[in-house]
Amino acid sequence: MSNYFNTLPLREQLNQLGVCDFMDSGEFLDGVNVLKGKKLVIVGCGAQGLNQGLNLRDSGLDVSYTLRKEAIEGKRDSWKNATENNFTVGTYEELIPSADVVVNLTPDKQHTAVVNAIMPLMKQGATLLYSHGFNIVEEGMQIRKDITVIMVAPKCPGSEVRAEYVRGFGVPTLIAVHPENNPEGKGLAQAKAYCVGTGGHRAGVLRSSFVAEVKSDLMGEQTILCGLLQTGSILSFDKMIEKGIDAGYASKLVQYGVEVITEALKHGGVTGMMDRLSNPAKIKAFEVSEELKDIMRPLFQKHQDDIMSGEFSRVMMEDWANGDKNLLAWRAATGETAFEKTPAGDVKIAEQEYFDNYTLMVAFVRAGVELAFETMVQAGIKPESAYYESLHETPLIANTIARKKLFEMNRVISDTAEYGCYLFDQACKPLLKDFMTKVDTDLVGKNFNEGKDGGVDNQSLIAINEALRTHQVETIGAKLRKAMTAMKSIKTA
Amino acid sequence: MSQPVVKITNLNLKYQHKPVLQDLNWTIKGDEHWLLCGESGSGKTSLAKAISGLTHSYGNIEITFNQERELPPLVYYVANWFQFKDLEGQSNFYYQQRYNKQSAETTATVKTELESFGKKHALPIDALDTILAALGFSEQKDATLIQLSSGEHKKLQLVKSLWLKPQLLILDLPYNGLDSTSRRNLNTLLEEIAKAGTQLILISNETEVPDCINRFAMIKEGQLVEIAGHERNLKGTKSVNRPVPAFLTDAVSLRPSGEIIKMIDVTISYGEKKVLKNINWEVNAGEKWVLHGHNGSGKSTLLSLICGDHPQAYANNFHLFGNKRGSGESIWEIKERIGLISPELHWYFDPSATVWQSVVSGFYDSSGLFCDPGYSKKSQTDELISYFGLDEYKNTLMNELPLGKQRLALLARTIIKNPEILILDEPCQGLDQQQTEHFNRLVDDLCKNGTTLIYVGHFDAQIPSCIEKRILLENGEVKSIETDIYTN
Ligand SMILES: NC(=O)c1ccc[n+]([C@@H]2O[C@H](COP(=O)([O-])OP(=O)(O)OC[C@H]3O[C@@H](n4cnc5c(N)ncnc54)[C@H](OP(=O)(O)O)[C@@H]3O)[C@@H](O)[C@H]2O)c1
Repeated sequence: MSNYFNTLPLREQLNQLGVCDFMDSGEFLDGVNVLKGKKLVIVGCGAQGLNQGLNLRDSGLDVSYTLRKEAIEGKRDSWKNATENNFTVGTYEELIPSADVVVNLTPDKQHTAVVNAIMPLMKQGATLLYSHGFNIVEEGMQIRKDITVIMVAPKCPGSEVRAEYVRGFGVPTLIAVHPENNPEGKGLAQAKAYCVGTGGHRAGVLRSSFVAEVKSDLMGEQTILCGLLQTGSILSFDKMIEKGIDAGYASKLVQYGVEVITEALKHGGVTGMMDRLSNPAKIKAFEVSEELKDIMRPLFQKHQDDIMSGEFSRVMMEDWANGDKNLLAWRAATGETAFEKTPAGDVKIAEQEYFDNYTLMVAFVRAGVELAFETMVQAGIKPESAYYESLHETPLIANTIARKKLFEMNRVISDTAEYGCYLFDQACKPLLKDFMTKVDTDLVGKNFNEGKDGGVDNQSLIAINEALRTHQVETIGAKLRKAMTAMKSIKTA
Repeated sequence: MSQPVVKITNLNLKYQHKPVLQDLNWTIKGDEHWLLCGESGSGKTSLAKAISGLTHSYGNIEITFNQERELPPLVYYVANWFQFKDLEGQSNFYYQQRYNKQSAETTATVKTELESFGKKHALPIDALDTILAALGFSEQKDATLIQLSSGEHKKLQLVKSLWLKPQLLILDLPYNGLDSTSRRNLNTLLEEIAKAGTQLILISNETEVPDCINRFAMIKEGQLVEIAGHERNLKGTKSVNRPVPAFLTDAVSLRPSGEIIKMIDVTISYGEKKVLKNINWEVNAGEKWVLHGHNGSGKSTLLSLICGDHPQAYANNFHLFGNKRGSGESIWEIKERIGLISPELHWYFDPSATVWQSVVSGFYDSSGLFCDPGYSKKSQTDELISYFGLDEYKNTLMNELPLGKQRLALLARTIIKNPEILILDEPCQGLDQQQTEHFNRLVDDLCKNGTTLIYVGHFDAQIPSCIEKRILLENGEVKSIETDIYTN
C-alpha cells in the first residue's frame, strides 16, 4: 500500500484538495430515504460509534453493531454500550455479509487491519463509510472495486453529536465520496442521507473530499488545536511559577482559561475574542501575536509540507510499527510537566479575569488560528475547510483541557492528533525560548490593565481592528457561523 | 428566647434592573417559623437569597446566631432549582442523557455525594438513614446523579438540609415534585428539626405546611406584608381572562381516531434494576388520562418511551400511532404529534434562549430555535406570548426570569402547535394557585377537540376537569387502571 495522494498527478491532487462546497439545506430534502430499510452495520462502539448509531436509529434507520470477537467475549465497554442501548451486536461473520452499509468507526490506527478483515465478508455493491479519511489517503487502502466508499465526518466529539441531535439540532459535518470507489454513482446520495440521520444537515454541511479532509484535519489538530494549546499552556504555567505567582492560581488560570477565552471565538471569531480585552491589552495582544506569528510561521509551514508530502504519516506509521516508542515517551513526558502535576487551586476566578490576566493565551490563540488558516489556504486547502479545522474546533479541544488538563485532551483526540501534537510541542518550545524570556506577569498571571491609564492611540487601534476584522478567517467564519448560530455554549465550572 | 434572630431594615434589591424589594423591613424572632407565599415573581426568592448572602442587596441584614447552641450557626438555603456537576466539574447535560447508557459513569452516586457533604460539615453518618427512609430515598443510594428524576433531586437537596440542621433554614418551593407521602413525611421531619432548634422560613403556596409555622407573609410591591394564616389561600383579584388565541381553537384538523399507544409487557431495566415491569396499557385517541404514582414509581420513564426519548423503546413490544417502535419511524415524526412539558424538560432546556425563541421552538420540538419560522408562525407566537402575559419578557433570556415565568413560557411552547397528544407532567410546578387553575381551564378548552391527554399531578385539586381515566404506577408496575373516574 502506498500513500494515495502521492500516486496522483499534480492536476488531480489540486483537483481533490479543492473540493469544497458549502451545501444548501435544500439539498437534504430527501432526508434519510436513500438509506431507509437498508442495513447499517457499525464496526466499533466507541465515542463516535455509539453516538452516531443512537442518532441514526432515532432517525428511523436500521442500525446494528459488529465488534471484534474479544470485545464480545470479554463484554468490554464497547459491547456494553451497544447491548445496553438495545442494539443487536454480532461478530463480523454474523453481520457484515448482510450489511448494505458498513460504517468503520474504529480508531484510525486499526483501520488497515479492520478493513482487511471485513472487506472479504462484504456483499457485492455494498458501501463502506468512514468518519475520517486517513486510511484511504495516507495508507492508500485499496477497496474492492464494487464497493462504494464514502465519508461522513462530524466536526465534534461524539458526545456533542448526540447532545445536539436530541435538542433538535446537529453538528457541522464534512461529507465526501472517494473518486476511486463510486461504481454505481450512489455515494453522494448515501452520504447525504447518512448525514441527515446524524442530524448534521441542520448545522452546515461541507462537501469535501477524502484528500481535503485528511490534509486539513491533520494540519489543524497538530498545530493550533492540540499542539499550540499544549505548548502555550505549559509555557504560561512555567512562566508564572518562575515569577512567583501562586501555583494553585496559575494551574487554575491555565486549565480553565483556554476554554473561557476560546469560548469567545465560537460566537464572534478572533475579533470577538480580542474584543474581550481592554483597548491597551488588545493592542498589546495584537503586537505579541504578530511576533508569535513571525516566529512560528516556519514551523507551521514545515508541518503542512510534511503532511502534504506524506512524510508525517510515514514517520508516524514507523512509530506505530515500533510499538509506539516515541508516542509513549512523549506522553509520559507530558504527564511529568509541572502544569499537569499541580492541581488547580480553590480560588474563584471571574470570567473577565481569565482574559485580563491571561492576555498571553489570547495572543497565542490568535496567532495559532490565523497561522494555521493561512498556511492551509496557501497549500491549496479551501478557506471553508481551513476554517473548520482551525477556528471552529479550537473551543472544542480547549474544553477537554478544562476537564482534565493535557492528559484528557490527549486521551480524547485521535491517535494521529496525539502524535502530531507532541511532535509540534517538541519543536515549538525551543523556538519560543527567547520570546518567553521577555514575557512578564502583566501578560500572564496578573491583570494587564493594572497601573495603566487605559489610554490608546486612535490610529493604531483602528488599524488593529481593521486588520483583525478583514482577515479571511473572519470573513469566511462569519458566513459559516451563521449556519450554526445556535451552537450550544459550554458551561464552565 | 424572643431575641430577634434576623433583623432586616430598608432592604432594596433589583433583579435585571427592575426593583423587586423596596425598603423592606422584617424582623424574625427566636420562636418564629415563617411561611412566605404569594404570586410568582413577587420577590420571595430574591429575599431568600439576600438573607442567605447569595445575591447583592442594599440595606441592612443582621443575623444573630446563638453561639451556645449545638446547631451549626449558619443560614442554609435550599434553592427552588437543583444543580449538579459531572465528575469533571462540568454541567453540560442534555435531557435524554439519563436514558442513554454509557458504560463510563460520568456523575457521582447519591452515596458519594452525601458522603462528601457530610464530611464537609462534619455530620454524623448514622443520622442519615432515618432521613433517607422518611423521604423514601434509601433505595436511591447507588443511583448516579444523572439518573435521578427532578423529584428525586429535590429530595437529595432536602436530605442534605435536614441532615445539616442549620440554625436558620430557608426552603424555597420544597414540595415541588414530591409525592403526597413524601410531603407529609417532610413536614414531620421539619417539625422535628424545628423542635430541636432550627428556625424555618418556608416559601410555598401549598396548603399543607408543618404545624410549627406560626407567622405568614406575602411580598406586595416590594414590601413584606404579614397576613393571618387563613388568608393565604384566598384568591387574588388578578384573574386574567383573555380569550384563547383563535389559531388554537379554530380549524383544528380532524384528529385521527383509534389506538395511539399500546404497550405489551413493556419492561425497562438498568443492569439488574427494573424500573418498569410488564407494563400493559392502551390509550385511544381522544382519551384523557391522569398518571399517578409515587416518586420513583416509573412515571417519567413511561412518558419518555411515548415521547421517543428512551432507547429501550426499541427492545419492547410497544406500538405508537399503530406502528411498532423501531419499524422505520423517526423520533421527530413522533415528537411532531406530541406536546410535552415535564420538570426534566424544563431543567435541561436551553437557558440561553429568549422567551420568544423558546415558545416558537415548540413548532419544531427543539430546545432553542434553529431556523426561520416564517410569518404565520411568528405571529402565532406573538399572540400566544400575549395570552400568557409574557409580552414584556419576549426578548429576555430564560435564565434571567423567575422560575414561574420560565414555566409559563414553556407551557406556551407545549401547546403552540396544538398537538394531537398533550403530555403534561406536573405542568404547573412553580406556578401559583391562580395560574394553575387558569392553565387547567385552558387544557380543558384545548382538549374539547379530541386531543388526547396524559396528565401527571400529585394533587387531585390541581387536575383539569376533563380527566376521565387513571393509571396508577407503583414500583414500576401498573397497580390499577380505572377507566371511568371523575365522570360522575
Ligand atoms: N473522536 C472524535 O472526536 C472524532 C471526530 C470525528 C471523527 N472521528 C473518527 O471516528 C473514528 C472512531 O473514533 P472514536 O474516537 O469514536 O474511537 P474510539 O472511541 O476509540 O472507539 C473505537 C471503537 O473501535 C473498537 N476497536 C478498537 N480497536 C479495534 C480493532 N482492532 N478491531 C475492531 N474494533 C476495534 C473499540 O472497541 P473494543 O476495543 O472494545 O473492541 C471501540 O468501540 C475514527 O476514524 C476517528 O478519526 C473521531
